[in-house]
Amino acid sequence: MATLIEKSTKERLLSVLDDLEVLSRELIEMLALSRGQKLPQPGEDTQILELLVQRDKEFQELMEVAQQQGKVHQEMQLLEKEVEKRDSDIQQLQKQLKEAEHILATAVYQAKEKLKSIDKARKGSISSEEIIKYAHRISASNAVCAPLNWVPGDPRRPYPTDLEMRSGMLGHMANLSSNGMNGHLPGDALAAGRLPDVLTPHYPWQPSDVSVGMLPPHHGNDFGLETPGHNKENEDEVEAMSTDSSSSSSDSD
Amino acid sequence: MAVSQPKLEKDSEDSSLLPLVHDVIKCMDKDKDGQDVHQELTKLKTKIQKAREQISNMPGIDSSPQEQQQQLATLREQVRTKNQLLQKYKSLCMFDVPKAS
Repeated sequence: MATLIEKSTKERLLSVLDDLEVLSRELIEMLALSRGQKLPQPGEDTQILELLVQRDKEFQELMEVAQQQGKVHQEMQLLEKEVEKRDSDIQQLQKQLKEAEHILATAVYQAKEKLKSIDKARKGSISSEEIIKYAHRISASNAVCAPLNWVPGDPRRPYPTDLEMRSGMLGHMANLSSNGMNGHLPGDALAAGRLPDVLTPHYPWQPSDVSVGMLPPHHGNDFGLETPGHNKENEDEVEAMSTDSSSSSSDSD
Repeated sequence: MAVSQPKLEKDSEDSSLLPLVHDVIKCMDKDKDGQDVHQELTKLKTKIQKAREQISNMPGIDSSPQEQQQQLATLREQVRTKNQLLQKYKSLCMFDVPKAS
């Protein structure tokens, strides 16, 4: 079924106006010719006149239609503005909903992660007594807090000192590997963890029955006291053996 | 409305070309030398040209009246639908906030 394409009002108006122009020209030319030739026309001028009147009436009707369409067009423009405003409102609402969805999704995810952590903690729960025992064990070496009777100058440190390392398993293993090489040096005695008595310092804060080898002969620059039994050779050895608290390298070999 | 009716009739009379054609024919009967006839013909041509310009500048006549009514109905429906949508989501209460006891 063929669909009729309606002409727009503008096209129809222009078409009728063209017809009016042609008809009025025809009529005027015909009247001008008939005047000059003085020949009666067989009614052709009447026919043209009738057509002219018809076209003029059609033109006026179309002009009224065009004016009505102009008013409708104004109303349509207002409606289009309203539609644009609603569109922007909808877009704004969409943005806000999207943002809310993102926030809620993040919150739900974090809540789920927390629930997982809670569940995991419940499964691996430990009794408080065990934790306290473990804490007591790891803090027994004074690594987390200084001893109550610690004063500046005390050679004790929260980390294993040079002497303590040498007297441990690693020190013994190192000593075994280099035993045939430097056995005559006093440093070996130190490496072996056995200090001769002359090198053992005695400090005012120490009890008199301090065990041999437990304290280093000289440690850092914390004190400058002269040790009993001090001689130049021992001083050189001490100077060579002393290490800064921040340094862990050994130069005694 | 009584005021708009005479204005409408005046507008339709203004758009008619018959009075000018009649003036041309009357001049042709009275005046033989053609000076006035020429003047009236010029008026007719000017009016036709002005009518063409007026038609070109008139808004809303690029479609037929039926098509325009369809477009108007579509726009009204769009506005109504979008108003409904906005009203629905603005008045939607998704969360019931419990009162703190």
